[in-house]
Amino acid sequence: MNVQFKKGVLDLCVLSMLKESDQYGYELANTLSEIIQISDGTVYPILRKLATDGMVTTYLQESQSGPPRKYYKLTGLGKKTLISLQQEWLTFSRSVNQIVGGDVK
Amino acid sequence: MTREDYIKALKSALLSLPASDIADICGDFEEHFSIGLSQGKTEHEISAELGDPSVVAATYFDEDLANIGHTMSESAFHAAATAATSGTAANTNGTTAAASAATAAGISGAALYAGQPAGTASVAAASVAPKEKDLTGARLFVIFLNILVTWWVAITIVSTLVSFWGVTISLVIGGIGAFIAMVGQAGDWITLLALCGVGAILLGIATGILNFFLCKWTVIGTRSYIKWNKKVYNEGF
Repeated sequence: MNVQFKKGVLDLCVLSMLKESDQYGYELANTLSEIIQISDGTVYPILRKLATDGMVTTYLQESQSGPPRKYYKLTGLGKKTLISLQQEWLTFSRSVNQIVGGDVK
Repeated sequence: MTREDYIKALKSALLSLPASDIADICGDFEEHFSIGLSQGKTEHEISAELGDPSVVAATYFDEDLANIGHTMSESAFHAAATAATSGTAANTNGTTAAASAATAAGISGAALYAGQPAGTASVAAASVAPKEKDLTGARLFVIFLNILVTWWVAITIVSTLVSFWGVTISLVIGGIGAFIAMVGQAGDWITLLALCGVGAILLGIATGILNFFLCKWTVIGTRSYIKWNKKVYNEGF
């Protein structure tokens, strides 16, 4: 997939994935890398920035197998940001689809 | 790459960050390895999936990533989007070397908003500005230090080393000369010349070894001096 396309939507993807439930890094990395073919390692810098910007918080939780896992949870600011990003993305992608689909000349 | 090698490579690429940040980041990757291993993957598979550690590390230094909050701004988003659709190269606007490295490697997380046109780039710049240090003093210091001091010290060191090598070479040649001079001589002369020859050659070898280490130390010293210069020039004292 075109690298340029992926830029700018990664944070939106991460925020969206955290909307339903808190997740740990490995889970997020695995899902994201499967769907949009990024390398797993790229997800951690994004998570860190989202945490620095107050979009997510983290907490540790024991797991049945292996060490405790760091979970990521959306904050109020994160939820607000997600909503506005979602709207922007939908509007934007619709416009692009029109152009790409040939409806606009 | 093994888990240990991966973490080591990551650590060394993150060196300029505060130690607590490095520990934090490495902790994330250690956790990733542990979970992957518990799911039956090998260390090599997990490393491959994570991607080049230097590229991953570069992503942490990407300033554009730091401005994620600005995606909330309508104009920034549309401007970035416009840039993306019009096929603007991602790394044309003020991206860091780290960002372009990541882009070159095809990892998309890095230059998240690298394609921002000038208008939004200034928004980003404005928000980063208070964090930036004034580097003028440090840069002038580096420049004048090199012109006024380093240059002359370097000349002195290099010419000293060259003349030391001259001593070594002439001792060895002198020693060989003594042996050549033995031809056609007899008795005490032979003994004397042989002693002189052996002595000169041994002395030559000894000074040669010394010179070798002097050169080595000079190279090491020069490298760390250059590194230090770069650091002061780019980050201040």
